[in-house]
Formats: sequence, C-alpha cells, structure tokens
Amino acid sequence: MEMIQQRCLWQFVSRAHDREENIDGVLTLVGILLTGGSPKLETPMDRLHYANANNLVSEIKTDLPWLGHLPKDDLFAVVTGAIKRIHEITVKKSKNGELFIPGY
Amino acid sequence: MPMKLLDCDTVIPEREQHVYIKEAGEDTTQFLPVSNAATIPGTLSERGCAFCGAKLVIGGVLKDTIQMIHGPFGCSYDTWHTKRYPSDNGNFQLKYAWSTNVKEKNVVFGAEKLLKQSILEAFDAMPTIKRMFIYTTCSTALIGDDPKAVAKAVIAERPDVDIFVVECPGFAGVSQSKGHHVLNMGWIHEKVGQVEPKITSPYTINFIGDYNIQGDTDVLQRYWHKLGIQVLAHFTGNATYDECRGMHRAQLNVVNCARSAGYIANELHKKYGIPRLDIDSWGFSYMATGLRKVGDFFGIQDKVEELIEEEEDKWKPKLDWYKERLKGKKMAIWTGGPRLWHWTRAVEDDLGVQVVAMASKFGHQEDFEKVIARGREGTVYIDDGNELEFFEVIDMVKPDVIFTGPRVGELVKKLHIPYVNGHAYHNGPYMGFEGFVNLARDFYNAVNSPLWALAGQNIQEVQ
Repeated sequence: MEMIQQRCLWQFVSRAHDREENIDGVLTLVGILLTGGSPKLETPMDRLHYANANNLVSEIKTDLPWLGHLPKDDLFAVVTGAIKRIHEITVKKSKNGELFIPGY
Repeated sequence: MPMKLLDCDTVIPEREQHVYIKEAGEDTTQFLPVSNAATIPGTLSERGCAFCGAKLVIGGVLKDTIQMIHGPFGCSYDTWHTKRYPSDNGNFQLKYAWSTNVKEKNVVFGAEKLLKQSILEAFDAMPTIKRMFIYTTCSTALIGDDPKAVAKAVIAERPDVDIFVVECPGFAGVSQSKGHHVLNMGWIHEKVGQVEPKITSPYTINFIGDYNIQGDTDVLQRYWHKLGIQVLAHFTGNATYDECRGMHRAQLNVVNCARSAGYIANELHKKYGIPRLDIDSWGFSYMATGLRKVGDFFGIQDKVEELIEEEEDKWKPKLDWYKERLKGKKMAIWTGGPRLWHWTRAVEDDLGVQVVAMASKFGHQEDFEKVIARGREGTVYIDDGNELEFFEVIDMVKPDVIFTGPRVGELVKKLHIPYVNGHAYHNGPYMGFEGFVNLARDFYNAVNSPLWALAGQNIQEVQ
C-alpha cells in the first residue's frame, strides 16, 4: 500500500469517478501482468492504464519480489485487497471535500 | 498526532485545522488539512491573488501574446518579470508590461473606451503581434466593465487578431488557484479546437503544467524530440497562443503541474477523449518512471530506455557527488502546492535529504493527500501558512535550508537561514535529470555558503 500511495499519482486525480476508473483500470491490469497474462489494449484508456500498471509491476518485482512467487489465487486476493483499500483511502473514507463536486 | 494548534495561533484557533504533523500509522482518512479555503482574518497570509494565478503563472508565459491588464498599473507591474520563463523568440513575454492604467475618473465614468483604445494602441505599437490576453482586475470588475464585448468589437474591426479574455479579478477566489481554474476552463471552452495543428509524428502529446521556468521546457522538449514525440502544445512553457488552440488533436495529455492545469487535462479527456497521464518531472527516479510510462503508452520502450541510460550516464555521477555531501540535511519546502509532493520523495530518494516541514499557499486537499502519502512521519504540513507560524516551525524543526518564494524568502534571509528560490529557482532549470543536479548544486551552495553566518555578525564588533 505504501508503495502505491507514494509512487502513483493516478489515484489522486480530482474527482471520485476518475479516481475509481483509474484504480480499477490500473490495479486490475497489475493482477493480469503479475500472473503473466496479456492485457487487451484496444482503446487509448486501455493503453493509459497499461502504462501506469506496467511501471507499478516493475517496481513491485524489484521491491516486493515475494509477490511474484505467490500462487495465482493468492496473488489475485492481494490485488483485490489493494483495490479495496485504495478505494477506501482515496474515495470512500477520504476527507477530501472536492471529490464529488460536479464538473471540474 | 491530530491537527496541531501552534502556540502563535492560540488567538486564531481555526488555524488548527490547517496544520498537521504526521505520526506512524496515520493516513489521510484520519487527518487532512483544510485547504483552498478563505484565509482567516488576522493571519499574515503569504498568498497571491486570483488574477495573479491566471496572469503570472499561466497566461503571461505565452511568447507571442500581448498581456493587457485592465486595471491600475500596479496589477501589471506586480505580475511582470517576477518569474523567469524565457522563450526561444527573444523573450518577448518578459520585456513588456501592458496596462490600461485605470484612474479614478475611469472608475467613475467607466473604462471600456480606455480598454479599446489601449488594445488598439498595443496592436499598433507591435504590428507583428496578433494575439492578446485581456485580464480584468478588482477595480474594473467592480465597476462592471464588459471586456468580452470590447474584445468582440476589436476582432470585428481587425479580423487578423484574436483575443482571449480572462475574467478573474483578484477577489474572485481564495488564492491564485482560482485564476488557474478560470483560465483553464475559459481556454478549453473558447479557444481549443480553433486551430488545426500540422501533425508530423505518429506520437503526439500535450505537455501540460510546465511553464519553462529557467528552461524546464527546453530540457523536456529535448527528451520528447529524442523520442520522436511531437508536442502539439506546451501548456504554456515557450508556447504560442495558436499552439494552445490545437490541443484537441493530441493522443495523450502528459501532466506535470496537476494543480494549475489539471482542469484542462480533465476537460480534454471529457470533450475529446484524450487520456491524462500524470508524471513527476523532477527527480531522477520519478522522471525515469514518467518517461517509461509515455514509452509504454506509445510502444516506444526501447527508445525510452536508451534515453534514460544516456541521461543517467551523464548526470548520475554528478548527482551522487552532491548526495554524499547532502545526506541527512534537513529541508523545508514552502511553495505553492504541487512542488511539495513532486519534491519530497525525490529529494529523499535522490539526495538523502529529510523534508521536515512543508507549507502550501494554494494547494487543495488532493495536494495534501499526495504530499502526506509521500512525506515523512514527524514532518509538519501547513496550509496557507502565516509568518508567525513559519517562525515557530523553524524553531521546531530547525531546517538547514528552505526552498520557498521571494516573499517568505526575505523573512528567512533575515533569520540567516539558507534560502533557495523554490518558485523561479536560483540557477535552474530543475526539471529532468540535469535539472535535479542543478537543484542539488543550489542546495549544496546554500548550506555551505559562509554568507548566512556573516550576515548575522555586527561588523563593528568583528573589526
């Protein structure tokens, strides 16, 4: 969690709906990439999430090598837990009063 | 530790909600300073006004545009030449200050005629320049002038000119942040899409939220050029008015300063479907990550790795020389907002420095979410810090150097504490690999200069 919080700006964009889209988009791809899957890169947003996810995966492999050795189900459980926790910190329990302002 | 009421703030207890000291195990769901809120009467705020945020930070950077300030001359003078953003056309934007020079009689009788006359005079005096920004100020907003109507009339008379009006007087918001917002939203809705850029590369971006402070844009532009990436618009470092009208054709928005220009990136995504990629352009590790993300987006990873290797070979030994000598030094960052989170981990990772206090003039809560996530435990985080708070925090954390702007810098200098200009830099650029070596050099020179101690001596006693 500390690594994601320190390194990843995509979780802190201005509005809740954009944060949610980024968190789900990037971290789902992180799970796929860590288990050797090939993500579909069909739209510009797919490529954006891939760019963010791929760099996070590289950092995970360097700093948290044990994660790559987990069985697939355990690894997906870790990623699912991370998605839930990042949603909590940056959206659901966030004290940021501007997250739900309509418009930018 | 919850929010902190400093001793100097006992008579302004509301300030407790603006000062936080991070402790182990805490996160931003527990404590987050109030920010982007009106300055509490009685505090000695260091903030700039909303007009300043539009003109000094963003609009005034454009290199081919007259900046007509509709108001008393002070509004023009005070936002002229105080930030160093050069251009490759002889620094047109730094050479002149334009103003309608509104007086009392104009306040009484209206100043629209004066505005029209000033616009025509400026275009006549500079016949090669065909683009203009007009800014309202407190006085001309209060008397109800309609600069958009005046601009429309001038464009009807002179079809070869184009004018953009920023209606953001100083009182329009709580800080300069409002000026960023008004300019961003006005530009996307009124000007983007009017010019079709010539596409010369399969890879196109807008580089958003970089203002070419002492050549930052030049450093980044070299990287983009080496990667074969065409920048349709720098928003707004070394940019032209018309380049920024063609932002809608980029494939990717790469955002550096999310505070001053995140709005236009969001709107470009919403209106034109262009994705927004936030990066940090300061620091070796963060810069490399940012470049790698752009490489992954376009599928040009090999080129990016080659560039990073080349840059690190050239600059890393120099950075490491400073790191050896700066390790453990204590730094305070008291700037606008984003540099707190851009810099705090970067100086820690790349230079071994501890950031012990951070203050933001115009950051919003999202900026504090980022900086608290990245910042150290025990560090003091302040929104809209006032002068007495700065004195008290200096006593608490005893920084070796303070990176801040000229206003707080003057205060710091009087205390004989090393100060480096964190806004316009001492000897930049600071972005990119070479830029961070420049930052390290200014840091090293500041903490090792004998002048600070000498300035505190009574010269008669020394003799």
